[in-house]
Amino acid sequence: MPSDNPVSDAAEGITKGVLDWSLEKITSFISKLKNKKLAFLENPQTMETVMDQYRSGEGKFYRNYITDKSILPLVMIGLTLRSVEEDEERLHTLRDNVFKKYHAEGLHVAEFVQMGILNRYIGILLEELTSIPEFKNSIEEILKNIEKHTLFVRTTNKKAELIKSADIKIRASSPRIFIISGIKSATKLVSESIDSFKVILKDYEFERVSNNEKEILFFKRKNH
Amino acid sequence: MEIVSLKEVSLNSKITLLQKLGYNSDGEFVLDSHGTKILDRYIEIPVKINNMAIFPGSTIILDDNEVSITSYLEEFGEDALR
Repeated sequence: MPSDNPVSDAAEGITKGVLDWSLEKITSFISKLKNKKLAFLENPQTMETVMDQYRSGEGKFYRNYITDKSILPLVMIGLTLRSVEEDEERLHTLRDNVFKKYHAEGLHVAEFVQMGILNRYIGILLEELTSIPEFKNSIEEILKNIEKHTLFVRTTNKKAELIKSADIKIRASSPRIFIISGIKSATKLVSESIDSFKVILKDYEFERVSNNEKEILFFKRKNH
Repeated sequence: MEIVSLKEVSLNSKITLLQKLGYNSDGEFVLDSHGTKILDRYIEIPVKINNMAIFPGSTIILDDNEVSITSYLEEFGEDALR
């Protein structure tokens, strides 16, 4: 008989080596599967990690204010990316899978959440909150147009091309909030470029979120 | 919901399970009834027998990864995995 204890069979398998199931046991499992009482997973930890994000306060907050079905999975995946940051191999595999399904722009949305940029962006929105519909719209707008609002800096970028790229984005869409972000080895390049960014973003107020792992610059358009 | 880990389950048992669900395997990949490799519904990679996920009430077989599980939850609702 299968145990009621989740993942019990895995534990049984570990003590006995490879686990062989009888036909009766398989039939019983399939009956439970069809009755929506059972799931099979190679590694239950994968699902647990995902479900932890759905149970988290931050996950619930986002699910309350982001309703766009094309964006919400990426936001949840962004939280998962953050939760596996300590496991380089898992992080790498997850990023690969995000790229396979959502390409570079989708990966940028997930990274935006992973790096805590979205929650600071929301903080800035809250400072000027006028209505909930506008608040929700502003969140979805930046996530749907991530490349217009954000410059993701890579180690391979050159300072001059970064400045040019930021300038083009600002001139093209004049975003209310513009964000420049770099992680790990790209943090140095971002910090070294701050003064140049300030020149082209002179009509913006500047805020910096920085530690050893990330360098994120927020530019908020001044109210005249 | 009971979660059954497949990690320590023998290849033969996994193949029998698949056959009972209308699938098959060549020992590496999950195959449909025509012998064609099935692709993960969301990230469109062939599902390997050593990394599959089968969810309650469903006969969809996915690759066991965070993107596919999140996509499944978004398509079928969180209650599908409770």
